[in-house]
Amino acid sequence: MSGKTLLVVDDSATFRQLLCMSLARLDGVSQGNITEAVDGQDALDKLKEGNFDLVLTDIRMPNMDGLELVRKVRNDLKRQDLPIIIISTKGSEDDIQLGMSLGANGYLSKPISMMKLRELVAEMLPS
Amino acid sequence: MAEKSEEILTIFSKSEELLEMFRKGKAFTEELMYENERLRYRIVQLEREKMDLSGTLMREMERLRMENTQLAQKIEFFDARFQEIEAENKDFALRYVEVEEQNESLANLYVASYRLHSTLDPAEVVQCIDEILMNMIGSEEFGLFVVDEESNELLLAGFEGEVEQRIGRGRVSFGEGLEGMVAQSGEAFFAEGAGDQGEVCACIPLKIKERVVGVVAIYRLLSHKGGLSPLDHRLLELLAGHAATALVSSKLYAEKARKLKTIEGFMSLLRAR
Repeated sequence: MSGKTLLVVDDSATFRQLLCMSLARLDGVSQGNITEAVDGQDALDKLKEGNFDLVLTDIRMPNMDGLELVRKVRNDLKRQDLPIIIISTKGSEDDIQLGMSLGANGYLSKPISMMKLRELVAEMLPS
Repeated sequence: MAEKSEEILTIFSKSEELLEMFRKGKAFTEELMYENERLRYRIVQLEREKMDLSGTLMREMERLRMENTQLAQKIEFFDARFQEIEAENKDFALRYVEVEEQNESLANLYVASYRLHSTLDPAEVVQCIDEILMNMIGSEEFGLFVVDEESNELLLAGFEGEVEQRIGRGRVSFGEGLEGMVAQSGEAFFAEGAGDQGEVCACIPLKIKERVVGVVAIYRLLSHKGGLSPLDHRLLELLAGHAATALVSSKLYAEKARKLKTIEGFMSLLRAR
């Protein structure tokens, strides 16, 4: 992994900061390579402008939620190869199934273990 | 006469033949004796060699036996060392996980306190407390109450879920209900369960020294969260201190800014006259 770019999408600035801090500990990922987006629409705009290796998104957000973002990335942007991990307070089997069926590659329920998150991200980032 | 001499000649010739035969027999016997001697010598030689070899073999076997014993001891030593290292390795792995957990816990505490003190806007402080309770602790239904010093009541400042219905008029008197009791006593309350039945699972006073400035009540945790972990307890302890100072300082700052604006307005009114 070298110079990987990540997009962190969450309306909570506190959680975004926590995610960025934790993800910056991964090999080949620096704080400067992590872009933050406050909701689905902001993330979609940033995805159109730049190239990202992985997206981490919350579900419950204003303007556009995480599920809609996943749907638009897969259907509108035609980015089937882009790994997307959903991190949400919604953690029931149905929620997970719905997220995965829309095209997410991973699902973590909040509050998350940062160790598990880093493992999952490292696994999904293209080598 | 002639017959006799012929007979004598025949006897002589036969005796010559016989003599020749004896000579050959003697030579053969001598040869056999020599061969016998040589073979005896060879046997002695071989027996000596055999004895030497047997000695060498015994020594070699002894050496190998010793080597074998030494190797067995070495194997035993390495086996013990391997087990020791494996145990050490497991211990290190466990310690690594422990350190990572502590690291994670410190990162959570750092981000939480950093965010709480990064703003002087009371609404943002309340939002930050909400985010910590929701995203870091995993609360599904909670209420943040601040003390109204004039009425000596707790006012609902932030919430998630159906807290308004739970509280009713949006304020709780000191000593009333668990929230009011916690505000009055200044002691945190933690229930064992995750609050599935609707009861409060944690209620924490927000304090500056001994002065209670607010209360955080967690009514229900997220369904996939079993209960409050030691990290949650530490986060809530941090909230109790940092959120209190953040709330009070932002409130004071907002009041000061409002007063300053009033004075400036008053001054400009005076100047205009």
